Amino acid sequence: MSVELLADKLSSSFIVFENELNGETKTDLHRIRRESMELFEKKGFPSIRHEDWKYTSLKPVLKHDYKVFHKGDQALDFSDIKKFFIHDIDTHKIVFVNGVYSSWLSETTHQGYDVCTFSAALRRHRDVTDRYFSKAADNSSAMVALNTAFAQEGAYIRMTKGASAIKPVEIIHFTTEEAGSLLNQPRNLIVLEEGSDVQIIERHQSLGSKPVFTNSVSEIFVHANASLELYRVQNDANTASIVDHTSIQQHRDSRVRTAVFSLGGKLMRNDLNIAFLGENAEAHLDGLTLLDDGQHADHHTRVDHRVPHCNSFEMYKGIYDGNSKGVFNGQIMVRPHAQKTNAFQQNNNIILGEKASVDTKPQLEIFADDVKCSHGCTVGQLDDEALFYLRSRGIPEHEAKALLLYAIGDEVIGKVRLKELRNRLHKLMAKKLNVDFQMEI
Amino acid sequence: MLHIKNLHASIEDNKILKGINLEVRPGEVHAIMGPNGSGKSTLSSVIAGREEYEVTEGSIEFLNEDLLSLSPEERAHAGIFLSFQYPVEIPGVSLTNFIKTSMNETRKAKGLEPYPAKDLLKKMRDCLELLEMDKGFLSRSLNEGFSGGEKKRNEIFQMALLEPKLAILDETDSGLDIDALRIVASGVNKLRSPKKSFVLITHYQRLLNYIEPDYVHVLFNGKIVRSGGKELAHELESKGYDWIKQELAEV
Amino acid sequence: MEILDKITKSDYKYGFTTDIESDKAPNGINEDIIRLISSKKNEPEWMLQWRLEAFAIWQEMKEPEWANVTYKKPDFNAISYYSAPKSKKVLDSLDEVDPELLKTFAKLGISLDEQKRLSGVAIDIVVDSVSVKTTFKAKLAELGIIFCSMTEAIHEHPELVQKYLGRVVPRTDNFYAALNSAVFTDGSFCFIPKGVRCPMELSTYFRINESGTGQFERTLVIADEDSYVSYLEGCTAPMRDENQLHAAVVELFAMDGAEIKYSTVQNWYPGDVNGLGGVFNFVTKRGICERNAKISWTQVETGSAVTWKYPSCILKGENSVGEFYSVAVTNNYQQADTGTKMIHLGKNTKSTIISKGICAGKSNGSYRGLVKIGPRADNARNFSQCDSLLMGDGCGSHTFPYIEIANKSAQVEHEAATSKIGEDQLFYCNQRGIPTEEAIALIVNGYCKDVLSQLPMEFAVEAQKLLAVSLEGSVG
Repeated sequence: MSVELLADKLSSSFIVFENELNGETKTDLHRIRRESMELFEKKGFPSIRHEDWKYTSLKPVLKHDYKVFHKGDQALDFSDIKKFFIHDIDTHKIVFVNGVYSSWLSETTHQGYDVCTFSAALRRHRDVTDRYFSKAADNSSAMVALNTAFAQEGAYIRMTKGASAIKPVEIIHFTTEEAGSLLNQPRNLIVLEEGSDVQIIERHQSLGSKPVFTNSVSEIFVHANASLELYRVQNDANTASIVDHTSIQQHRDSRVRTAVFSLGGKLMRNDLNIAFLGENAEAHLDGLTLLDDGQHADHHTRVDHRVPHCNSFEMYKGIYDGNSKGVFNGQIMVRPHAQKTNAFQQNNNIILGEKASVDTKPQLEIFADDVKCSHGCTVGQLDDEALFYLRSRGIPEHEAKALLLYAIGDEVIGKVRLKELRNRLHKLMAKKLNVDFQMEI
Repeated sequence: MLHIKNLHASIEDNKILKGINLEVRPGEVHAIMGPNGSGKSTLSSVIAGREEYEVTEGSIEFLNEDLLSLSPEERAHAGIFLSFQYPVEIPGVSLTNFIKTSMNETRKAKGLEPYPAKDLLKKMRDCLELLEMDKGFLSRSLNEGFSGGEKKRNEIFQMALLEPKLAILDETDSGLDIDALRIVASGVNKLRSPKKSFVLITHYQRLLNYIEPDYVHVLFNGKIVRSGGKELAHELESKGYDWIKQELAEV
Repeated sequence: MEILDKITKSDYKYGFTTDIESDKAPNGINEDIIRLISSKKNEPEWMLQWRLEAFAIWQEMKEPEWANVTYKKPDFNAISYYSAPKSKKVLDSLDEVDPELLKTFAKLGISLDEQKRLSGVAIDIVVDSVSVKTTFKAKLAELGIIFCSMTEAIHEHPELVQKYLGRVVPRTDNFYAALNSAVFTDGSFCFIPKGVRCPMELSTYFRINESGTGQFERTLVIADEDSYVSYLEGCTAPMRDENQLHAAVVELFAMDGAEIKYSTVQNWYPGDVNGLGGVFNFVTKRGICERNAKISWTQVETGSAVTWKYPSCILKGENSVGEFYSVAVTNNYQQADTGTKMIHLGKNTKSTIISKGICAGKSNGSYRGLVKIGPRADNARNFSQCDSLLMGDGCGSHTFPYIEIANKSAQVEHEAATSKIGEDQLFYCNQRGIPTEEAIALIVNGYCKDVLSQLPMEFAVEAQKLLAVSLEGSVG
């Protein structure tokens, strides 16, 4: 199937989607969907001729004949999928199987705050969805427009004023063998009202062998003095690809920590946009990428300092083996009058594989003078001296290398505040490096 | 030489100095002591002319001239030297180049020809020796990568070269180990003369063991609350600043 | 802020026109004009054909729009593509030079006599695209060094020109390179034979004089095996209300073991404080390094209304080295999009990039660079540092470094920082008796030291002065 045919299929699917909505087509929200579809039809799928997609081609992902609509609840046994959850602590859970909400596997709540689905929010909290839907995401991106056009299902989290989540929220999207090739377009809406806080973990997991393509959009609003931690674990099958777009708006005194761990999957493209709308807000953006043959990860971040006195700290690290490919494009924008901005960005890459490659473009755009901004970026190998030192102490080469790589990964993993997730990531990393350190840090 | 009358100063509407009176005559060494936040560094900044501080009341005369109407560089040309508590780093500007510019601008302001390069270099070498500094200092970038002790020594080095009439040493002793302190202090002592005056601003009495002051003042809450001879410093050292606070509270 | 107003208004000190009679082609571009240029210069047929082919290529191309600059595109038919001072005679000594022209040089701050005496710099001077004087030619000829105008090279050394012209910057490379290839009128040509170390700096001064003309010079430097040359160019233009177009092409060839140092002090008229007038400086500069060769670009860019320029190195041979040192100053409404490309193809190749941007007024400065390590470039190394210094909150600084690595043994480091001249730095200088303006000059020169130290002595002094003039009054 060609890219053009898939785009055509999506156009006709949109008409079917509209027909099933009945009365809802008259609403403002649906007007946004329709405009987004028109926008997508005008733009088409992005190609490497677009500056933002210069180093990542979607062609190999778009050649499949994906199913756009999803069928009911697939029976999954919790014991089979338990390992994908952080099962040693209690969490709120929003679980989807083949794009459909699974009430069986989920543990939602409406006590004090809402943790449920976007479709439920469309029915029950229309005032909230109307207020926030499509207000943060960058619709000029064709992939975002496409998601917006079909926006119907995903996670909905609304932390009311002053609410503190009693446990972390896990969002997991499973796809099964039975579903075949699937295009999944979840839409998350997350609102943290003044002074609230929540920790969120999201992952996508393909359980089958068919190609799966996820085009996800998350819109997140962090109001005054609220605090968000958002962790993404990407350790999917080599048949699964994801384009994830996250836009976060931060108000006065708010704090956001995000971390993405790209450890597995055919193609992972993460767009993370953070905009500071209120003073004294702070954001930490972290990423760890550890890839092997046939894998491709592309991180595009954009931190938009629109007001004075905000701080952003960004640290993305990548380790590339086999013929894997890594891309980093980090933009820091400091608008006129956003004085006293502190923006730091760091991107470090290690190439292990003969055929691996890295393309990186750290970008500063500064329009205010009283700011401290810097970026550093390196591409290299493991330190030979260090390697020799370890080996001279009797550590075999493979373990010595793993130890050094583990140390690099730990700089990012170590910043995860949720201990159980941190342990899990340490184990995942050790497993990927094929070593067993037998210790919990 | 320096007359400070009823000086009030504030920064961003916070009143820091609330009526300082101080008179320094030629050849005198004054020590100003006080707890953190009492206004010591503000006083030195106001004398040197830092623009963030607003003088709301009072006057400062230096050699019978109104100091407050002068720009920072004009005050420097008039003979005021401030040894900074935190000397700034200026990457790429060598110490030699900086001092040359500084000295020649001062001479230009007095209508003098620039210093002949040969004499200047000799003078620099002499001063280096005085402060037991290495020649390598001269080619390093100004304060960049200097240790705390090196930065302070560099301040005294510049003071020796610029030959000010009044030198204000703002916490020059803080953060120095005992050897560095001794070197700095002996540098200052060698520069003492009947025509030169010093104002030492310090939190600790330790410095005064090496540089003997003629007068000691205690600054507290923006005012000089006590003045006396060097024995006042000893009293402060043994009783601590709380003693002053208590006494004031009783009054 | 008073200081700012006072001194930003200081005049462009090189803004005089010289009253020299000139021979100028009618405005517009077409095949006939190209034939006219070629015939004015008595060019051989192959050169004319080469130009006509370039013109055909150019007509198919679009003006590039990806750079971070906005300007009104030049009307290519409103430009005269040929303007020559009327003194036709070939000159042998300075005495024969038009006295008006000599005055020009004096105003430019380059008294030929003085330069000759003091530094032994050989100078080729290009006014309105035509080379008027090459000094020291005879002395250089003794060593087998060819240093002459491009026009002369086409006549005297056609085999060399044919062999190298357009080989690093092909006519198809970009819009302005194609245009230059079609209409270039002169430039400098330099050939250093095997094993020869050129004993003096070779220098070219470019000046646009005539109004309504474009300047399209072409420079070709060939350093044969194990040779060395240091080449300097300086640029000025008079003040004009309209924008003038400058589209040059420079090609460097460093053969096995050769080294070329290429320094530029660019001070084309930047336009006035309101952004009126000024030169559009769209330049393609590229060099190729064979085995063990080295090319070092140093540039101090203070002029031009719009600059679009990326001096680059293709590190083809093993162990070859590329360097790029740049200071780019923008003030008022100037825009500069400049940087470099380091293309590593050979093993053990090394490159260094030091870029210092200074933005003031309402200007915009961009660093745009590419570091590319090819799959066969084992053990390639790059270090890049791209800093910007901002003065005032009306300007913008941008950094677009592209880093593309396809070899596991590569070591690439890139760092960038943005800062401003600190109040505390200025106060410290003030306290030591240094007035604010002097302090700014001191701090800026310190900030640029790593680049300025790459320039030959007499150029470094000129560059320092230029920096001070360009930035006067930028901090209030």
